[in-house]
Amino acid sequence: MAWLVVRLAISVSLLYAASAVFEDQVGKFDWRQQFIGKVRFALFDTHSQASKKLLVATDKNVFASLNSRTGDLFWRHVDKTGPEGHIDALLMYGQDAVVVVGNGRLLRSWETTVGGLKWETVLDTGSFQAAALVGVQDLVKYVAVLKKSAISLHDLSSGSQIWVENLPDSDSVQYQTIYSGGNGVVFVLGVVPNSHIVIVEYKIEDGEIMNKKSVEAVWMSSLESSCAVVSSGILLCVDQITQSLYTLPLQSAEQTEMRQIHLQMLDLEVVSGFRPVLTSTQPNPAQPPLSEFFLQLSPDHHILLQFIDGLIAPLRDFNPSYLAAFATSGERTVAAVMSPKNDTACSINLFSADTGRRHLDTTIIYHMDPNGGKPNRLYVHAFLKKDDSVGYRVMVQTEDLTLTFLQQPGRVVWMREEALADVVTMEMVDLPFTGTQAELEGEFGKKAAIQDGLLPMVLKRLSSQFILLQAWLAHLWKLFYDARKPHSSVKNDVTIDILSRDEFNLQKMMLMVTASGKLFGIDSKSGTILWKQYLENIQPNSVFKLIVQRTTAHFPHPPQCTLLIKNKDTGLGSLYVFNPIFGKKSQISVPALPRPVIQTLLLPVIDQDYAKVLLLIDDQYKVTAFPSTKNVLQQLQDTASSIFFYLVDSSQGKLSGFRLRKDLSTELIWEVVIPTEVQEIVAVKGKRANEHVHSQGRVMGDRSVLYKYLNPNLLAVITESTDTHQERSFVGIFLIDGVTGRIVHEAVQRKARGPVHFVHSENWVVYVYWNSKFRRNEFSVLELFEGAELYNSTVFSSLDRPYAPQVLQQSYIFPAPINTLEATLTEKGITSRHLLVGLPSGNILSLPKMFLDPRRPELVSEQSREENLIPYAPEMPIREEWFINYNQTVSRVRGIYTAPSGLESTCLVVAYGLDIYQTRVFPSKQFDVLKDDYDYILISSVLFGLFFATMISKRLAEVKLLNRAWR
Amino acid sequence: MQQMKRLLDIYVALQALFALSRCFSDGEPGPVAGSQSNGDRFKIEGRASVPGVKTQDWISTALILVEGEEYVGFLKTDGSFAVNDVPSGSYVVEIVSPSFRFDPIRVDITSKGKMRARLVNHIKTSEVIRQPYPLQIRSSGPHTYFMKRETWGWTDFLMNPMVMMMVLPLLIIVLLPKVVNTNDPEMRKEMEQSMNMLNPNPELPDVSEFMTKLFSKGSSKSGGGNKGSRSVALKRR
Repeated sequence: MAWLVVRLAISVSLLYAASAVFEDQVGKFDWRQQFIGKVRFALFDTHSQASKKLLVATDKNVFASLNSRTGDLFWRHVDKTGPEGHIDALLMYGQDAVVVVGNGRLLRSWETTVGGLKWETVLDTGSFQAAALVGVQDLVKYVAVLKKSAISLHDLSSGSQIWVENLPDSDSVQYQTIYSGGNGVVFVLGVVPNSHIVIVEYKIEDGEIMNKKSVEAVWMSSLESSCAVVSSGILLCVDQITQSLYTLPLQSAEQTEMRQIHLQMLDLEVVSGFRPVLTSTQPNPAQPPLSEFFLQLSPDHHILLQFIDGLIAPLRDFNPSYLAAFATSGERTVAAVMSPKNDTACSINLFSADTGRRHLDTTIIYHMDPNGGKPNRLYVHAFLKKDDSVGYRVMVQTEDLTLTFLQQPGRVVWMREEALADVVTMEMVDLPFTGTQAELEGEFGKKAAIQDGLLPMVLKRLSSQFILLQAWLAHLWKLFYDARKPHSSVKNDVTIDILSRDEFNLQKMMLMVTASGKLFGIDSKSGTILWKQYLENIQPNSVFKLIVQRTTAHFPHPPQCTLLIKNKDTGLGSLYVFNPIFGKKSQISVPALPRPVIQTLLLPVIDQDYAKVLLLIDDQYKVTAFPSTKNVLQQLQDTASSIFFYLVDSSQGKLSGFRLRKDLSTELIWEVVIPTEVQEIVAVKGKRANEHVHSQGRVMGDRSVLYKYLNPNLLAVITESTDTHQERSFVGIFLIDGVTGRIVHEAVQRKARGPVHFVHSENWVVYVYWNSKFRRNEFSVLELFEGAELYNSTVFSSLDRPYAPQVLQQSYIFPAPINTLEATLTEKGITSRHLLVGLPSGNILSLPKMFLDPRRPELVSEQSREENLIPYAPEMPIREEWFINYNQTVSRVRGIYTAPSGLESTCLVVAYGLDIYQTRVFPSKQFDVLKDDYDYILISSVLFGLFFATMISKRLAEVKLLNRAWR
Repeated sequence: MQQMKRLLDIYVALQALFALSRCFSDGEPGPVAGSQSNGDRFKIEGRASVPGVKTQDWISTALILVEGEEYVGFLKTDGSFAVNDVPSGSYVVEIVSPSFRFDPIRVDITSKGKMRARLVNHIKTSEVIRQPYPLQIRSSGPHTYFMKRETWGWTDFLMNPMVMMMVLPLLIIVLLPKVVNTNDPEMRKEMEQSMNMLNPNPELPDVSEFMTKLFSKGSSKSGGGNKGSRSVALKRR
């Protein structure tokens, strides 16, 4: 008996292992794009001329090395999210990159060619201020880290701490910068706002304070960006109120006052309200900085100045200019300046730093994306050409987080859309038909056709057939034309114009909304960005909700999507309506939303243009309809009594249900209060509107049917206890009917805590929580059944439900942490479901729902075997074959989006986080199409073989017949 | 749920058993949540290796995850690692690499900073099978992400029972006449007799003949052919 059970289990699990990827399918219908986030520091490897490395550290706590020729990643290290992984500084010397992480908590040195860690040191606590490489006698040996109250010096090769010193008067003085010019001392500069500057001089060998002085500077509030060290240790500061530059030699002991140079004397003026910025350059940390520096006087005005013998002389005025940056190659330092050329383009030019003279033939034209943001950072990679002139490449970062790498004369070498590192929400929209397909549709779609009479209809038919023939011939010609071209040049350039729905609707348009407010339209088959649109003036803490109001099915009406942008703090929102295929903003007038929006509702009601009606509910429970034509309002009045919605107020632990009245006001119907002292609502989820359930029930082993409780209005509410002690914490789940407010079921998981991930679909809810007693993740599944008979088999009404459903629950151990959870979705819901689990390792596990079935028996019986139930096992298996993204891991996976395709067997999956991965899954194998490995050769060779065999046997038979006749 | 409860009961009992055999007297370390406040932070150290693969070939894509993404560490160029700033508690330490498989290890840190490594067992959570600390983690090989395709080979084809059933009689039919001397008149007689026995009516067209007729006449006379086939079947019976 036992071996039978085991065999059954094995056979069942083998059956389901078939959802895995085959090796030859790699890259066939899946793709991954890796991102890094908004670049905060970028350094080009100038160690050797041939080096292609570009080191970047980003706001996503990512430290990566990019190939500067292609923009691809050499390697990437993703640190912990939040302030503990925050990269404070990036320094580079030779092959090593030194990174300060976690507000000065860790100091790491990376071997940049391999991408491995060289050493890591833990620093003392204290908030990070500055870090600098320190050189002695032309050799960089140390790195100095300045904290709020201490300075420490570390050896660059081993990371060991040479010395650490407390800073004098650190409670009153704000120490902000470090300077070392390679002459055996380190200067620490601090400021007491509106009083004086403090300069402390440390000896490199032992950290002894050589000198300490304070210089009066009443006008100064902060050293950062308004001060710089130039020439041989001259502190230079700029102040916009007094419109002056101030200089102070750091080393001289006698000068106790800063020398003031009025900007007027240089014929310069700082624009009022703008904080001027000083930029100097120190090409070699073991040598003092150059005497040239940039002064930015207004957002589009830079000037290159020189400090010689206590005097400041302007070298070149750049007006207008957006950005300016220094770069050094070998012994030569150059400055690159970006200035506007016309409305759509900027020109970048190279100037020699010491004279301000323009290098000839060094212009790079940068074309600004009309749908993008303004450039805001410029990184220059200078190199020496063979004829000893300086060549350069630039990387431009824009407000919308696009990185563009350009070389002369303006060729875009590569481009990265780093906004996609932070996708907030997404949708998939069907592609439209091609012109010819639409023409055919039009033939049948138009109402006029009926009145046309016979002859015009025949003509129309003939003409559309002719158009089809034409299109087919054009297609053949294209095939022929492409075949003649060499294989490499036939690269599929996907453009919007040629995109059309494929036979099985497997290719769709992915709409992605990113946190920076940039929208993308991406082709799901290739991952090509087809359009992008940067929405300006998006608050950084906005929340987005993307709604598809009209799909592509309503030709000739264009598809329509609406994005609700809501400020998290004020709740005030605005609507952005656009065409999802082309990314164009729609001309439709949008209702003004003067009050905070608290709930949105997409109704199945459509207006005369086939757009679904969106209801927006504000904080006074007033309803705004969009679109709000007369037709819509009429329909709303008719159906108002059956429109219900719910609101969640997690701060008061209140769930309330409302009904729409005919005059678009609302009335409260029910209210459920979950006391906030004990537990708080963390998430509420209904079912997906586009979900189809194929079977009403399950056939049991004894041939009876167990009917599912398919309540479309059911809400799953997850609560967590406010008490976080491991013995008393719990996770609660409530299943509430959204129309009546009736609590259908309630379950509590004791000694458990969040984060809770859950999926609510069909008649089941699957949720994951952390068992704090046994320190493991557990899955729990709730399934609701009506019983052996359906109460009302024709229609489901929440208002008429006399019997409570039967609820079955089972829990399992999941041997890995979980980042996100989603369920597969198919066109008609016939295919069995899988759960897609995003793991912190970056893998996406496709777990058959069969393993999460509360009817899994403890003891196998004949009936359970009949039903194909797997015997209960406490631990959920994780098999590597179930990882749908094999080694294409998705870093920090945050969400998984599933969409049905035209094939019932196929579900489209997009996982997003730091990376984006798109694939297809076949939860019940590909039962409706020929398999990938379908052996055409075998089948045709067998056919031909049989054919020839009959020919031969025919001949033989004829001979035999003849022989017999002669006999 | 019922099963879960029962299992839990069993494990509670098991836990009591294991408590006796424990070498670690202070039992389970303190609560995981909320223990950050005590300020003592410790370091989890170890070394990872992949047999037969140089460290520089895999460390750039590998990562050390402690309790999910709670704490993150990176590998040094020699394969060693250290995860800093971990408060006392019990953690699952895992090396994550897209190409190689590493088994997770549970590390317990007491409030005094004493370390212990043991195998991860999610069912018997208090079972202690000690592992060396500092951690020594060896990869158990590359990941097997892919299913093997069922490839078509001649051997598979020939070993198929259906094919065997078809091929063997064919061989007998073809080879037997060669083995038996047909020139021997006695033998021929014998064979003819047996043939006659098999085919009682010599006027009846045999199947091959019928097939050739069918093909030569084409589809226009297929109706007649069908009739013929029916009659063959009838007569054969």
